[in-house]
Amino acid sequence: MTAGPLIELRGLSACYGGKAIVLRDVDLSIPAGGMVALLGANGAGKTSLIRAISGLLPLHHGAITAGSVRIGGTEITGLGPDRIVRLGLAQVPEGRMVFRHLTVEENLRVGAAVISRAQGDQRIAAVYELFPRLAERRRQAAGLMSGGEQQMLALGRALASAPRVLLIDELSLGLAPIIVKSIYDQLRQVRAAFGTAMLVVEQNARLALEICDTAHVLERGAIVLSGTADAVAGSERMRESYLGTKAESAL
Amino acid sequence: MLMQFAASGFLLGSVYGLIALGFAVIYKATRVFNFAQGMLMAVGAYLAVTGSVALHLPVLGTFAFVILSAAVLGALIQTVLIRPLAGRPLLPMVMITIALSIILRASIELIYGGGGRTLNLALPSGSVLIGPVRISAIHVTAAAVSWLCMGLFMAFFRFSKAGLLMRATADSHEAAVLSGVNANRINALAWALGTVLAAIGGLFLGQLQLASVELEAIGLLALPAVVIGGLQSIPGAIIGGLLVGLIEQLASGYISPKARDIFIYVPLLLILLVRPWGLLGERELGRV
Amino acid sequence: MRRILRWSLFAAFLVYLPFVLNSRMVFGYRVGNMALLNLGLAQVDLMLVSIIGAVSLNFLTGCAGLISVGHAAFFALGAMAAAAAGQQLGLPFVATLVAATLAGALAGVVAGLPSLRVRGLYFVLSTMALHFIVVFSFAEYQYAFHDVAGVTMGDATILGYELDSNVKWYFFLLPIVVLVCAMLQSVLRHREGRAMLAMRDHELAAASAGIDVRVLRLKVFAFSSAIASLAGALQAYYLTTVSAEIFTLDNAIHFVAMIIVGGMGSIMGGVAGAVVWLLLPSVLVGTVVEMKMLPGTLTQFLVSHQPQVVNLTFGVLVAVLLIRAPGGLAGLYDDLMRRRRV
Repeated sequence: MTAGPLIELRGLSACYGGKAIVLRDVDLSIPAGGMVALLGANGAGKTSLIRAISGLLPLHHGAITAGSVRIGGTEITGLGPDRIVRLGLAQVPEGRMVFRHLTVEENLRVGAAVISRAQGDQRIAAVYELFPRLAERRRQAAGLMSGGEQQMLALGRALASAPRVLLIDELSLGLAPIIVKSIYDQLRQVRAAFGTAMLVVEQNARLALEICDTAHVLERGAIVLSGTADAVAGSERMRESYLGTKAESAL
Repeated sequence: MLMQFAASGFLLGSVYGLIALGFAVIYKATRVFNFAQGMLMAVGAYLAVTGSVALHLPVLGTFAFVILSAAVLGALIQTVLIRPLAGRPLLPMVMITIALSIILRASIELIYGGGGRTLNLALPSGSVLIGPVRISAIHVTAAAVSWLCMGLFMAFFRFSKAGLLMRATADSHEAAVLSGVNANRINALAWALGTVLAAIGGLFLGQLQLASVELEAIGLLALPAVVIGGLQSIPGAIIGGLLVGLIEQLASGYISPKARDIFIYVPLLLILLVRPWGLLGERELGRV
Repeated sequence: MRRILRWSLFAAFLVYLPFVLNSRMVFGYRVGNMALLNLGLAQVDLMLVSIIGAVSLNFLTGCAGLISVGHAAFFALGAMAAAAAGQQLGLPFVATLVAATLAGALAGVVAGLPSLRVRGLYFVLSTMALHFIVVFSFAEYQYAFHDVAGVTMGDATILGYELDSNVKWYFFLLPIVVLVCAMLQSVLRHREGRAMLAMRDHELAAASAGIDVRVLRLKVFAFSSAIASLAGALQAYYLTTVSAEIFTLDNAIHFVAMIIVGGMGSIMGGVAGAVVWLLLPSVLVGTVVEMKMLPGTLTQFLVSHQPQVVNLTFGVLVAVLLIRAPGGLAGLYDDLMRRRRV
């Protein structure tokens, strides 16, 4: 068991196209088994941060310009995304991004491709237990499913790789509240069952703060507020910008 | 007469289908429109010449030699020429494969000389008469092997892990990458496969005609074939190949060899104007 | 002042060049083949025609972002229109050139029509289809009205003065090249030219800025094809005989290669590309032979396989430029100038 945080970002800065600075000197850590919320308005850089951690910036013509990312003490700054996934970091991207022409089973198999067959079978079985709806639609093409089902599939695909950390980007986007609540419940189950650490990126601060231990607020690429979920939820800043008027108590 | 043309059209079309399939694999997996597919076919024919004449390999040995060399060549091309251009706009992607075909042609002519080389593999010869139709053994062999290769490829694509990852990458490159797929390896594999398929097609066409760079013109027909069938559809490519083979035989037989171009490229133009995603393809949302 | 001096020297060079190439003498002194890069005036004349083709393609592809492999077809069309106007209609030389240009413009509009329906790769394919269809038509026209061996063009006479030598052709072509380049350059500077560049770079933005993208695209195509057809007609007259076989897809591809090597998006890039295309074979072989850079047998091999070696070098050059220097030679030149200023 490595001491220290599972995921550690130090002084991480990044830009797109060599010019547009999108992350400024970000420090952030995720303890093993911990749940961290990353909040911020549209365009604050939340997705860019996820891309920076998972090695996907080059795909979008971006690059890390300074700082480091470590997982379990191992430096992963600048590594290829496939290596990073093999080191235990999986992603549930914004917009789901399921493989539309592949079946549910095939989608999960792709996720499980980075681990052994035996492990993969186990993990996929666990995903089906967690999401019975997916088991029902095992042979259905992913593109034909509803938004909520696709979200479950994206989550399942990420879990199929037996990750130590999950990066979840805008889980609630475009989904009905009741479905969102259900999926968040399942996130709790995942944490309980596998002890997976999670970074939950949400515009809907309320949801994230309910489920997470600590929270960070990102504004224009820089962290402007950090602390326990309760502290952040109760802060003036949060109450004004993200949780409604001053009079309303957030939680 | 018609039956004869239809029969040879079908048989020849099977070989075209193989080349078109190789093309479609490369396109579906790596989104690269490989203008050099015809030249890769010619390379296959010349590799067969080297294998049988220079290395004195038996038929199966020549096959193995061609397949292995083509696979290596395909992977090499992807690594050296295609990968550096990842993410670039259309023109560089189109031109790099055109530059590749220029390089391949010049290399072939430098290594093997300008004229064509006869390929005399120990393949079944002679012909048989079925009703009014005369079918040559070599045509049947070529078609049979082509269908076998296509079948093997479909099985690989559907059922193997690498095939699954290839399909995933074709479905959504970004989703595949973030799921841990090594895109570079998959792309190299796609190019290796596409080149092997073209090379096998070239081997047969070289045997049927002559191993020469003029084979490229035939290979170039794979492009309209794939587009008519549907760029995004693997079965579409095969059907496109069959159609082109049929049209070619019918046009050459009834009118003249020159007419072939018209009967293939006019339908191509029509398809592009009316149904650009091809007969079996899927309409892509947004700009085509 | 220095600019005027530079341009005057360049102009003087251009005027004196044909005489140097013809007589192989400079100011009375014998000059070796190597110094003249193994060039003959005939090659330079053909290069001038290629320049017209290259800059018109660069206008279409580099500036307007429309990728086309149909350029050889427009050359064919121009030749066909000039031959038909000259032979069948009995029009004089200059009139046939005008006819070729107009035919090209019309054909350009037709060729551009698919772009209203499809874009990108599918559009390139439509230009490829058009290539084969046009060349086929040329062949049919040739067999129907002329000889299987080729179409013989009429005499190129302007007001009684016949263009019957390389030098005369040179002085006829050179002003045309300068005119075409200047015209295209000025179009780029003005409103419609800027609209074109905007359309290339970001079509959606251009459209929302009120630019009628569809009409503009057709205009650009018409313009570029008109010039290319003119070049085709000129080439046909220069060669005195043309046949369908010479208009290959390879030719069209070579034009695209030229503008990539020269640098897309600028007129000078088109010129540079055509010049390199001309100079490369001579320079390559000449250097190797003269400098005795390789052992005898290898040099022999090189000389006897010159076309293939040149093609190989060109292919590699295009590939390397695509990967490392997408701006082509013009881009490299600009970078150099920028660095010197800094």
